[in-house]
Amino acid sequence: MSIRIDIPPYLQPLTDNREVVAVDGRTIGACLDHLVRQFSRMGKMLFDEKGSLHSYVGIYLNGEDAYPDELTKPVAEGDTLYILYVIGGG
Amino acid sequence: MLTEDERHRYERQIGIREVGEEGQEKLKLARVIVAGSGGLGSAAAIYLAAAGVGTLRIIDHDRVELSNLNRQVLHWDRDIGRGKVESAGEKLSQLNPGVRVEALAEKIDETNASRLVRGFDLIVDGLDNLPTRYLLNRAAVENNIPFIHGTIYGFEGRVMTIIPGKTACLKCVYRGLIPPGRCPAIGTVPAVIGCIEATEAIKYIVGAGHLLTDRLLVYDGLAMKFTELRVKRDPNCEHCGHLVVRDRQ
Repeated sequence: MSIRIDIPPYLQPLTDNREVVAVDGRTIGACLDHLVRQFSRMGKMLFDEKGSLHSYVGIYLNGEDAYPDELTKPVAEGDTLYILYVIGGG
Repeated sequence: MLTEDERHRYERQIGIREVGEEGQEKLKLARVIVAGSGGLGSAAAIYLAAAGVGTLRIIDHDRVELSNLNRQVLHWDRDIGRGKVESAGEKLSQLNPGVRVEALAEKIDETNASRLVRGFDLIVDGLDNLPTRYLLNRAAVENNIPFIHGTIYGFEGRVMTIIPGKTACLKCVYRGLIPPGRCPAIGTVPAVIGCIEATEAIKYIVGAGHLLTDRLLVYDGLAMKFTELRVKRDPNCEHCGHLVVRDRQ
């Protein structure tokens, strides 16, 4: 099952500057695990030591906020995930 | 009531069907806070002043530094070392003497945020850090004042309009704090985002169009694309969750 993850500019240095990464998985959590297996430095950016998403990371499924319980939400072929990493400049 | 000079100054925007003379009068009566006069605040404040917003309260406790000048276009080389609100107030008054500029050189904190925004119609986010944004978001919710959020990092920018009690607030969308660090910035990005913030402010004041509520607009200057994310109110939001409960009763 192919799921597309859109990588925001802030995180693209961790995905070899790729804007889009294809992953497999039946849940958002499985898709993010697959992303981390491809780009290991994403692990610390997304997850804390207990494996939970950092509070400053938002996951959007087909453009909609997947909060709460993001990691267990199911995904389907052709779905798109967007990682919203908190930024604070002005 | 507009003067003849004002009709002349604003004739191009009065000619917009959604603004008209009635909208221009609303702009003249409007009291808007621009919190921060850096990259975002400079862009937003310039266009709000040019559009004829009657009162602009600019809040910033910083002084102009050389490294600000690549993006903070209200401040010029000659202003290095001056207070930012003094520098900003001078430029905005020269741009449009009809605008009343209140320049407050105060640091927004937990003790004064609510006081600083009280009595104003709208708050525009020109801040450079997340903790102060959260303070302002809470103050906006407490005082029922719409809050237009903007932020940037490098070639990325984001913007969203918040109507307290009706639409998702900043804390419904961002739930945590990132580790502190310096934010890289190029001037065109806060210019884009600040101008969208000013557009939202003008639309809100004159009552035109569709506001960017429950939607976070993400600007990617590298790919040159905008992405719209649908955000939602969080019933457990520590800032506005109590208002969600009240709505359901």
